[in-house]
Amino acid sequence: MNFDIDPGLAVPIYRQIVEQVRRQVAGGAWRAGDELPSVRALALQHAINPMTVSKAYSLLEAEGLLERRRGMGMVVAAVQPAARPAQKLALLEPALQAAALQAAQLGLDATAVLQAFKHCLRQQGLEDDDHA
Amino acid sequence: MHEHTSRTAAPLDAGLALQAQALTLKGRRGLPVLDRVDLALPQGAVLGLVGRNGAGKSSLIRCLVGLTAPDSGMSALLGEPSLELSDGLRARLGYVAQTPDLFDWLSGEQHLERFATLYPGYDERRALVLAARLELPLGIKAAKLSGGDQQKLSVLLALTHDPDLLILDEPVASLDPVSRRDFMRSLFERGHADAPPRTVLISSHLLSDLERICTHLAFLRQGRLQLFGEWDALVEHLRLLDLPAGSSALPVGAGVLQRRRLDDGRERVLFDARLADAPPAAGRALSLDALFEELNA
Repeated sequence: MNFDIDPGLAVPIYRQIVEQVRRQVAGGAWRAGDELPSVRALALQHAINPMTVSKAYSLLEAEGLLERRRGMGMVVAAVQPAARPAQKLALLEPALQAAALQAAQLGLDATAVLQAFKHCLRQQGLEDDDHA
Repeated sequence: MHEHTSRTAAPLDAGLALQAQALTLKGRRGLPVLDRVDLALPQGAVLGLVGRNGAGKSSLIRCLVGLTAPDSGMSALLGEPSLELSDGLRARLGYVAQTPDLFDWLSGEQHLERFATLYPGYDERRALVLAARLELPLGIKAAKLSGGDQQKLSVLLALTHDPDLLILDEPVASLDPVSRRDFMRSLFERGHADAPPRTVLISSHLLSDLERICTHLAFLRQGRLQLFGEWDALVEHLRLLDLPAGSSALPVGAGVLQRRRLDDGRERVLFDARLADAPPAAGRALSLDALFEELNA
C-alpha cells in the first residue's frame, strides 16, 4: 500500500491520506481485511509527523472505512458503510471545483457550462429530472 | 489564529509547552526587535517559526530560552518563566543555537562524554545510533568538521538526553536533503514508548521541510507576529482573492488578514474563510510557500 504524499500541495497531509484511502477502497483496489502501514512506519517513510497519520486514521475509523484489529493495527473494514448520496457528492466536489475554475479562466458563461455538463451526464445515462 | 490574549498578564499555564505574552524587545536606537509577541503552544505540538532574515526569529528564541531578557512582557517553557528555569527543567530542554555552540578542541565523542555527566537522561546507545544514522564522524575535533557536520553534532547533543521540549534555531540549513529527512525522523523518537510526544519549536527557511512536520506555524515580520495557528486549519481555510479595482469591498470582517494593492490596480485579499464575510468557495487555497510570499509582500 503506497501513499502519494506531497507536502507542497495546498491540501493538508492528513487530508491527502484520508482521500487516498477513500479512493482506493471505493475503487476496490484495497479490500476488506487489507492491512494499512502502521502510524510509525508511514510517518518514518515520508518523514512526516506521526500525529498527522494518526489523525487521518482516526477520521477514517470514525467514518467506518477502517477498523482497528487487535495485534494487527488498522485494516480496511469488513463491512463498508453505505455511502449516502451526500457523501458521494462530496467525493465529486474537487472535480467540480476544478472544472468551475477552468470555466471561469476561459470566460465561459454559467448556462453554457451547465448545458455541457448535462450533456456529459446524459452520455452516462443519467437523466436530468429538472424539466425547466 | 490571531488570538491576541488580553493585555492583562494571565497566570502561567503549566499545560502549555511554550507561552509568550506581549513579549517586547527593543534594539539599538529603540527600534523594536520584538513587538508584543503572544504565543501559546500545547504540549506535543511542532511549531515552525518562519520569517525573512531579520524578522526577529532568533531574538524570539533567545528570549524563550532565557538567554535574552525582554524589555517587557514574559515567556515561559513548560510552565516555568524563561528567566528562572530550574535545573530540573533544563534537563527536559534541548536547544540548538543558530551558530553551533561547540568546543573547537573536542571531538564528537568527547562532547558526548561531557553531556553524559551533565544530563541524567543521557543515553549513550541512543546517541551512537543517531550519530550513525546522520553519518556523523565522532572522532574528529569540532573545529575540523564541515559546517553540515557541526550542525549534526549540535542536533545530536540536543537530542541525546531525550528532551520533552526541543528548541532549534535554523538547525539544518547546511544539511543535504537526505540528512534532513533523517533529522526530521529523529525529532519524533522518544527514549521510552510511553513517553508523551515531544514538543518542538524550529525556525527555518526550508518551508517544504516544515510542511512535513509542523502542527503549528508562526509567521514573524519586523518583530510582529503576523499569523499563528494550526497548520492544517490554515491550509484548509485561508484563501487569496484578487478583486478588480474599485470593486465592492468583499470579503470583509474579522477574518480578513491582509489586503494590499497590486501593481495593476487590483486588490488582493488574504482571508480566513471561516471568519470573513465572503462568498462560499471564493478565492484560492495557498501552499506554505505562497502564504509566506504573500505575508511578506
